[in-house]
Amino acid sequence: MEKHLLRITVNDRDYELFINPKTLLVEVIRDHLGLTGTKRGCESSSCGCCTVIVEGMAVKSCSVLAMQVDGMTVTTSEGLEKNGKLDAIQKAFLDNGSYQCGFCTSGMLMSSKALLDENPSPSVMDIREGIDGNLCRCTGYNSIVRAVAAVARGDYREDKQ
Amino acid sequence: MSVKCPVCGKAAKSGTAIDCARHMFGTGDKAHRAWFESQGLSYIDLLLSQTTEPGNKAYVTVAELIEKAQKD
Amino acid sequence: MKCNVINTPVHNVDGIAKVTGRATYTFDVTVPGMLFGKILRSPHPHARIKNIDASAALALNGVRAVVTGKDTLGIKQGIWRRYKELCDEQILPLEKVRYIGEPVAAVAADTEEIAEQALDLIEVDYEVLPAVYDPMEAIKKEAPEIHEGFERNINVTRHIEWGDVDDAFDEADYIREDWFRCSGQAHACMETRCAVASYTADGKLAVWTSTQSAYYHQVLLADVLGLKESDVRVIAKYVGGGFGGKFELDAAQFCSSVLSMKLCKPVKIVFTREEDFIASKRRTPMYYYVRTGVKKDGTFLAREARVFTDGGAYTGMGATALYLTGFFHSFPYKWRGYRHDGFRVYTNTLPSTSMRGFGTPHATYCSELQIDLIAKELGLDRIEIRRKNGHTPNYEVPGQATIASCGLEQCLDEIEKWIKSRGELPPNRGIGISSYGFMSGGIFNRFDTPYSFSSAVVTINYDGKVDLHVGAQDIGQGSNTTLAIICAEDLGVRLEDIRVHSGDTAECPPDLGAWGSRQTLMAGNAVKMAAGEAKRQLLEFAAAQMSPNIVYDLDIKDRWVHLAGRPERGLDYFEVVKKALRGKDGQRIMGRGYYTPHRKGMISPAYSYGVQALEIDVDPETGKIKLLNCVTAHDCGQPINPLGLTGQLEGAISMAAGYGFLEDIPIEDGMVMNPNLVDYKLIRAPDMPETEVIEIETYEPEGPFGAKEAGEGLTNPTAAALATAVLDAVGVPIKELPITPEKVLNALKEKKAQ
Ligand code: FES
Ligand code: FES
Ligand SMILES: [Zn+2]
Repeated sequence: MEKHLLRITVNDRDYELFINPKTLLVEVIRDHLGLTGTKRGCESSSCGCCTVIVEGMAVKSCSVLAMQVDGMTVTTSEGLEKNGKLDAIQKAFLDNGSYQCGFCTSGMLMSSKALLDENPSPSVMDIREGIDGNLCRCTGYNSIVRAVAAVARGDYREDKQ
Repeated sequence: MSVKCPVCGKAAKSGTAIDCARHMFGTGDKAHRAWFESQGLSYIDLLLSQTTEPGNKAYVTVAELIEKAQKD
Repeated sequence: MKCNVINTPVHNVDGIAKVTGRATYTFDVTVPGMLFGKILRSPHPHARIKNIDASAALALNGVRAVVTGKDTLGIKQGIWRRYKELCDEQILPLEKVRYIGEPVAAVAADTEEIAEQALDLIEVDYEVLPAVYDPMEAIKKEAPEIHEGFERNINVTRHIEWGDVDDAFDEADYIREDWFRCSGQAHACMETRCAVASYTADGKLAVWTSTQSAYYHQVLLADVLGLKESDVRVIAKYVGGGFGGKFELDAAQFCSSVLSMKLCKPVKIVFTREEDFIASKRRTPMYYYVRTGVKKDGTFLAREARVFTDGGAYTGMGATALYLTGFFHSFPYKWRGYRHDGFRVYTNTLPSTSMRGFGTPHATYCSELQIDLIAKELGLDRIEIRRKNGHTPNYEVPGQATIASCGLEQCLDEIEKWIKSRGELPPNRGIGISSYGFMSGGIFNRFDTPYSFSSAVVTINYDGKVDLHVGAQDIGQGSNTTLAIICAEDLGVRLEDIRVHSGDTAECPPDLGAWGSRQTLMAGNAVKMAAGEAKRQLLEFAAAQMSPNIVYDLDIKDRWVHLAGRPERGLDYFEVVKKALRGKDGQRIMGRGYYTPHRKGMISPAYSYGVQALEIDVDPETGKIKLLNCVTAHDCGQPINPLGLTGQLEGAISMAAGYGFLEDIPIEDGMVMNPNLVDYKLIRAPDMPETEVIEIETYEPEGPFGAKEAGEGLTNPTAAALATAVLDAVGVPIKELPITPEKVLNALKEKKAQ
């Protein structure tokens, strides 16, 4: 099959790849770029383990072709940390014990981050609905909800630290 | 007269055959099971009917047999 | 006792790796030159394999090997290694397949796509046999035989009895009989089963896999592959969930190993979600019959129960469920006479195995719902009837177990208070309650390990930092953190001074791993012993310097080595370590610890207790249930890691509530009808109730620092509390799990008709 050129920025780094046009975004991220923080938990776009942020929006990377995001900017869990500093949502996950096995965590972080970027002061129900697409078999979600609420409350604002 | 278990000789407090049947099912060890088979019954089938259907059909069947055995 | 590290909120030791996407799971492992494997699965529930022709598959470009049962040693394996007749599963069977989805062949190819294509080219000639899918059918005389030599397809039976049951029933004023049915449940770990096997020409095999016990898999693989245990290395650094589903040998591990041994190349196999649903294992479905006799005043006298469990096609670990459901169906109450008969029956469906709670959520559901029905019938208060009959400290379950610590009564008090605080409830709202208890690690050694059940090694390095090697397995429940806390507390250092090594049989001591809620207690005790030994070595040296009367007068707390009676007199821990190493000719300070329960009753060295209340709304129009609040009073001894404990509790609620009203594995003609995450419903974030935990602290003499089980037992009450909540809200008992809207509506209709 003829390969296509994909230009993509992932975690602030520019990539040029020749790929089979049927390649999924998640495959590019994991298999071509080796960024294995993004996981896969299903074949039916229903677990959210593969969630990444594309141009500010949470996207299930198993549900889009890589070519659909040609020229766009993608952030994965590996890209949340900036200059050796954890993002507020990562700190909040640590403080609230919002992960257990950690397999859903990357996706949860990205959904939470996108939710907060879009709605900085969500209600508890907003938060629950914001992560509705992400399954977690371990935590029962409430610790994740508390983490997002803590960030929304401003517990992790720079001036507070 | 109180009915005794044809296998181990235990008598229920009430002395009734139905309680004796209950005892035989509940004990359910090899010796007790063998008695059911010796009467041409299947322990498992009786147990199944007793545990899946309301009423005490299996117990009644067995109680009758115990009484009969007692008389003989 | 005053603790510095224990019971303070800390970040998990693997937290940074997990929130930055750096934690590498088996799913993420790549090895240079790695091939990809796929498994061909049986489309028939029961069939004889007459012939397998793989020539067309082998001819496909990129296919490297195809293996079938003929390429294996044909060893029948199982996890109860002590009981040969219960080792009944060949992962690539030679003669028969017994469920839809059972592996029949495996392919290794250059890419996953090629391997997938190759599967279609393998021709299997089957002779289809009659099949049976339900234990109540499989036990009948005319049912087809699934395994040779098992009369009526009965795989295992189990009888538990104490007291004079018949006498106790004689004294009862009220006797009640009920029938219940409990569904299966999928573990649905977010990381599906997977393995990378790499066999090299020196005869050594390395397997990365998602497991609950690296040691188990080392032994099981060595057994079936004909290798020495020490030539098999199992690596499982991060595991994407387990819940009881990941310690039997699975097809990913076995087939990748067989392929790798044939090719001397690394092979990776990852189950698709569908494969994980249809051909990994599941929670055991059960039919329950319960007969209970009580006095007018609510005193429990006798209980007699019979359970028929759906074992599926093989034994595996599943037989233990029979014993645990039998024992815990008595829990946490005192019975004068108790009798439980269990029958595990083979069927042509996917095998049943352990799953969090392991037979106990079923037992608790049937018991608690019936107790509420009895209380209703006799006009008694539901808390009172539980209080009257509950276990108390130092109670002995006749001939079965001795309870040391037990905080059940305080738990009941707390829950009673909470329920009162809710006041009058609106219509169609109800609060359900359920008491529960669980073990802290089983004492049985059916696996037949010659090693101690848990072991640990503590090494203190020159800079005072500590390496802790444990065989315990962290599957997300946070055992590495819990064990590091115990180590830090005992040594008198800080959590950040400890580095935990786990999940690799080449560097860690053997340990039975993560199951039966055993790690906090068993591995915890091993760690405590190892740390104590290292500390003793250090203090011996310090004693020579500080000359107290005896060594035991010295202690370490928060990196300060001091006289126990006069804490202000002391030395810096780091300095002492440096000097001690030099003083001992550079010998490393190293302590070893191990733990095997001896003479600890029949089941477990210690028991956790609790009571849960669940508030719900029932919509009488649709039958739908909405979970509102869930409050749990929980006695887990001394909590070690409070954040971890909350996580365990909430996670358990989500899984157990799911079992109560959403999750089910319907099987039609042997086929799982919902093998994907769309049709198989898991709880999602909006479905979760608000949760609250009330910690009842007791001190468990058998546990490290007084701790006991804190994660698995929490799965036991929620389905029961859901059922009793529905009873409270709309007055109908639903005796079949899961409590679907349909069942609620039918029950309401029936009630109206009466
Ligand atoms: S992998 Fe499950 S939603 Fe993408
Ligand atoms: S932490 Fe395990 S699935 Fe979410
Ligand atoms: Zn007898």
